[in-house]
Amino acid sequence: MSQPEKIRDLGLVRRSRDDDEDEEQFKPLEWGLIRRLFTYTAPVKGKVATLAVLTLIRSMQLPALAWVMSLIIKGPITARDFAGIGLGVAGYGLLAISTDLLFHFRQRYALEIGETVVHGLRAEIFAKTLRQPMGFFNRVKIGRIIGRVTSDVESVRVGIQDVLFVSVIQFGSMIFAAAVMLWSDWVLFLVVLALAPILWLINRHFRGKLSRYSRASSESFSRVTATLAESVNGIRVTQGFVRQETNAGLFRSLLADHARYNIALARTSAILTPLLELNSQFFVALLLLFGGWRVFHGDMATGSLITFFLLANQFFAPIAIIGNQYNQALMAMAGAERVFRLIDVVPDWTDDPAATDLPDPRIYHGAAATPPRNDHAGGVARAPVPENAGMRVEFRRVTFGYDPARPVLHDVSFVAEPGQTIALVGHTGSGKSSIINLVSKFYLPTQGEVLVDDREIRTVAGRSLHRQMGMVQQQNVLFSGTVLENIRLSRPEATDADVRAAAAALDCLDLLEALPAGLQTEVGEKGGGLSVGQRQLICFTRAMLANPRLVILDEATSSIDALTEARLQAALRRLLAGRTSLVVAHRLSTIRHADLVLVLDQGRIIERGTHATLLAARGQYAALYRQFVQVDDRA
Amino acid sequence: MSTTATPPTVPGNAVLIRRLFGLAWRYRLHCLQVLGIQLVLLTLGIGGLSFTGLGIDYIRHRIEKTPLAANHGQLALPEDWPPLQVLAMLAGLILVFALVRALLNYVYAVSVNRLVQQKLVVDLRGEVYDKLQQLSFRFFDANTTGSIITRVTGDVQSVRMFVDQVLIQSVIMVISLTAYIIYMASLSPTLTVACLATTPLLWLMAAWFSSRIQPEYARNRALVERLVQILAEGVQGIAVTKGFGREPEAQAKFDVANRECLEQQHGIFWRVSLFSPAVGFLTRINMMVLLGYGGWLVAHDRLPLGAGLVVFAGLLEQFSGQVNNVATIVNSVQQSLIGARRVFEILDAPVEVRSAPDAVRRPRLDGAVRFERVSFAYDGADTVVRDLDLDVRPGQCIAILGATGAGKSVLMSLIPRFFDPTAGRVLLDGIDVRRLHLDDVRRNIGLVFQESFLFSNTIAANIAFGHPDATRAQVERAARIAAAHDFITALPQGYDTVLGESGNSLSGGQRQRLAIARAVLLEPAILLLDDPTAAIDSETEHEIFEALDRAIAGRTTFIVAHRLSTLRRADVILVMEEGRIVQRGTHDELMRVPGPYLRVANLQLVDVRDLHLLGLAGGEGGA
Repeated sequence: MSQPEKIRDLGLVRRSRDDDEDEEQFKPLEWGLIRRLFTYTAPVKGKVATLAVLTLIRSMQLPALAWVMSLIIKGPITARDFAGIGLGVAGYGLLAISTDLLFHFRQRYALEIGETVVHGLRAEIFAKTLRQPMGFFNRVKIGRIIGRVTSDVESVRVGIQDVLFVSVIQFGSMIFAAAVMLWSDWVLFLVVLALAPILWLINRHFRGKLSRYSRASSESFSRVTATLAESVNGIRVTQGFVRQETNAGLFRSLLADHARYNIALARTSAILTPLLELNSQFFVALLLLFGGWRVFHGDMATGSLITFFLLANQFFAPIAIIGNQYNQALMAMAGAERVFRLIDVVPDWTDDPAATDLPDPRIYHGAAATPPRNDHAGGVARAPVPENAGMRVEFRRVTFGYDPARPVLHDVSFVAEPGQTIALVGHTGSGKSSIINLVSKFYLPTQGEVLVDDREIRTVAGRSLHRQMGMVQQQNVLFSGTVLENIRLSRPEATDADVRAAAAALDCLDLLEALPAGLQTEVGEKGGGLSVGQRQLICFTRAMLANPRLVILDEATSSIDALTEARLQAALRRLLAGRTSLVVAHRLSTIRHADLVLVLDQGRIIERGTHATLLAARGQYAALYRQFVQVDDRA
Repeated sequence: MSTTATPPTVPGNAVLIRRLFGLAWRYRLHCLQVLGIQLVLLTLGIGGLSFTGLGIDYIRHRIEKTPLAANHGQLALPEDWPPLQVLAMLAGLILVFALVRALLNYVYAVSVNRLVQQKLVVDLRGEVYDKLQQLSFRFFDANTTGSIITRVTGDVQSVRMFVDQVLIQSVIMVISLTAYIIYMASLSPTLTVACLATTPLLWLMAAWFSSRIQPEYARNRALVERLVQILAEGVQGIAVTKGFGREPEAQAKFDVANRECLEQQHGIFWRVSLFSPAVGFLTRINMMVLLGYGGWLVAHDRLPLGAGLVVFAGLLEQFSGQVNNVATIVNSVQQSLIGARRVFEILDAPVEVRSAPDAVRRPRLDGAVRFERVSFAYDGADTVVRDLDLDVRPGQCIAILGATGAGKSVLMSLIPRFFDPTAGRVLLDGIDVRRLHLDDVRRNIGLVFQESFLFSNTIAANIAFGHPDATRAQVERAARIAAAHDFITALPQGYDTVLGESGNSLSGGQRQRLAIARAVLLEPAILLLDDPTAAIDSETEHEIFEALDRAIAGRTTFIVAHRLSTLRRADVILVMEEGRIVQRGTHDELMRVPGPYLRVANLQLVDVRDLHLLGLAGGEGGA
């Protein structure tokens, strides 16, 4: 099927094919992949072995049932042997019981093995993903990772639990049925055999066509959902600009387009199913004519004819089933290949094996953070914080690029003495976030050195550094769960009292308790129901709870109403007091209270000093500042 | 959050089923056609099977001299024909029947899909989508995007299942079962009764099982969804997890959820693996009865072997296939009821705002806006705007300042009638907005939101959103007004650049300028700007001021703002607190009186010291 138009312009939303990674649906069978998949069945090794035996037995049971039936009909029933009938039926009953009993184990074990593999793959995907450095997460789209854990792992599940066992059983049934038919009458069996390849070819041809159509259909459906999603998210725009009718027209044409693919799909399967049935009817007709002819000529017994009628289906039905399973197997291969490709991504870098923990001078009293005193509201005087004096951070001629060939930081040097606040100022893309990423050891510098407490950051175990850090991100990331759980994320062993103490230390416990269910308020999708200010407070408290020696803060840009803003600024001052902090600053008050302001432009520090000295210097900073306060406008 | 508008009237199942029947009635001709085909197919199937049985009997009759068609002589085979000719005739008949069946099966499958995919689903989705677009924003605030999408996709599928999976399938099932029973009974009533004795048991088991397993499956879906959510959040919040060095905890959280899925699945596996063998065994009991009792009948020549026993075996197989359908139908009923409830909720939701039948047409407005004692409350909830009076001349710029929940956005939404006031009235050009045609009102108003939503389409299409037929020249003119032309032309594809999902390739300032261009393209008399700089870096904020200034010129403008830099631009500033206007005046006037405005201003205003340092000190600081 050739699609003349690659992107049909159906208006509201344009979506080009996502083809930066091969997402092919099928992949040829590969022994290495299969073997690797089976290593995941290790926890249920015993069941795998049992299942293999059960599968072999079951492959004989199914045709045996049909065969016994034909034996009873052509034997005792035709011979009017009543005792024989009773005996035969009893035998049939025993076989039936054993078949269905065995089926219980065969089905349950297969399902359990499939689930075990799925479970193992999911766990490994998550573990391996978590181990990746930050660069990975900027490269890989989240949808891809989710796709691995959902649809790809599911296709592997089908492959494990169905394909192998079902194929073996069906193949076994075919062989058994073939053997019985061959033994009953080999000439007639040859006729049966001749029909098999035709059936196989028909099946292959249509299955291929079906999977192509179903892909086209799901692609057109993803256009429907994408349009739908944007229609919902953009409803204000749509109503405000009176676009309802235009959108409705576009949506209907998308639906019609999708229906077109579905009908094509339905047509194909509507040919295949009757064709398969027609084939078996053709066989019955042939059997009647050719078999009858042989019976009349005395070449064959009437009983054998009945055997053929009953067993032929056991021979033909597996062909379509195996064909279908084969397709599933190819899909499982493609899924497994993608899953393993994700698992096998080698991290760009890992902690040096020689790296050691950063010594932690903080003393825990069982309580939460040592609350800084409340008397520095002016922000000029700093409360001395005894035990957990801040971390010393130094950049020595650091050059860095996410892509080493294109540096975003050039030769950056500065020192943050313990307890100092460093404000980073500059336009978007000037390198502020990169500095923060380097201090956090999310990335390693291309050249130069980053030192924490006078140790080169590469020699420090990342986690020991992170445990002494408190991070607040621009987007105020919250996880679904309660406010309490979100705060406790920074120190899971903290008690409720610790959390309250941390909030109280920021003087914002009252604000958190004013939430609908206080600290137990559920945070839903997109931080549902919470205002930006509330979200930010939660993130501040989270950082406070960690009692960090180094605070990394990327200030939110969005403006917050004045009252909340004032509370936030006060809370922020308390959070930063006595700790070293690096702040990507968007608020004037933060900048003004910083011990050192670094003005960045295109990856270089172009000016440094305090707010006052920089203003006095009347350089870039002063210009930036003037723009910010807009004093020159409509005075 | 305000309480939801409509009281949740949950319609009972009886009401839902009646409505679903109503839906099916709309497609009655198509349904009848589909059923007619099924009826013919059924007859042909039984016919083909009995020819096979007849053939076997004929061969036996010829070879073993058994009596032919002992009690089933409708079709007397010509005794005087050569045997092979008889067989050839039978084989030919079987083939002809099979061919016709294949053809009809094809027609059946295609027409069912025509009905379902091309009519039902398209119609329903279209209707739901149309309705969605009319609903007030509160509906969209109260429901997540995912849930709304599901209503148009999955839930609509569930609803249509009622027609093709429940109604049509039930009728087919009843007809075929009746036909099978009648045919079997005509062969041997006693054998029929004996063979079907287990059927009620099978039905009961299937119904019981499905009622037991469905909640388990639902729970499994919920567990997997939770697992995926943990994964998604883990990846999105990776910097937080890593930043606090809490990877082991994140891993543990995922592992717990993962293990929960595994363990819950084991329960399901046990049940499934008990049910399917049990059903299999019951079916085989039927076979045993057939072989034992049927064999006894054949041995006594009370039943022919082919046309009797073999045909019976075939019918029994078809029969149990149909019986198993019961479980599917029962599930479909449940599922379609759940879906129907969610779909009808949308279709029944009242459209709160619509044009009056005798609405006044006013394609061009001058832009005079008047609020007369306007109050507004979401039903049942607290009043958010109280007794508000306001008179704005065409071309004036009104800035609104206030805390979250002070009623700023509501005040603005009353102008384009996103909501109607609960008391008082809003007038445009001296006419009550409720008397004006809704399309005219909205086409005369340009809107820019806090975070402007841009569609994943070309820049040109986004700017021309409100006027899809706009020429490229018009689009460029709007872009120039919004100071966006330069950065657009600097992009490799210029105006044809397709924005990524949620337009993430552009900066906040650029996105807002596109939004302004989109608003001014319509040449609106009134411009509503809801905190347009909120989502923009303060360093880049100035980028859009040029755009704002030009957009505002000559239009009545309402702008919600927090920053002084924006507030200063207004002719009149309104300070709102708890739904009331507590202060109004120009920046200079308000700076002279103590009050909320001055407090806010002081918080933002630069220290006088700073201004001195900048050498810009003047009559600015106020305090």
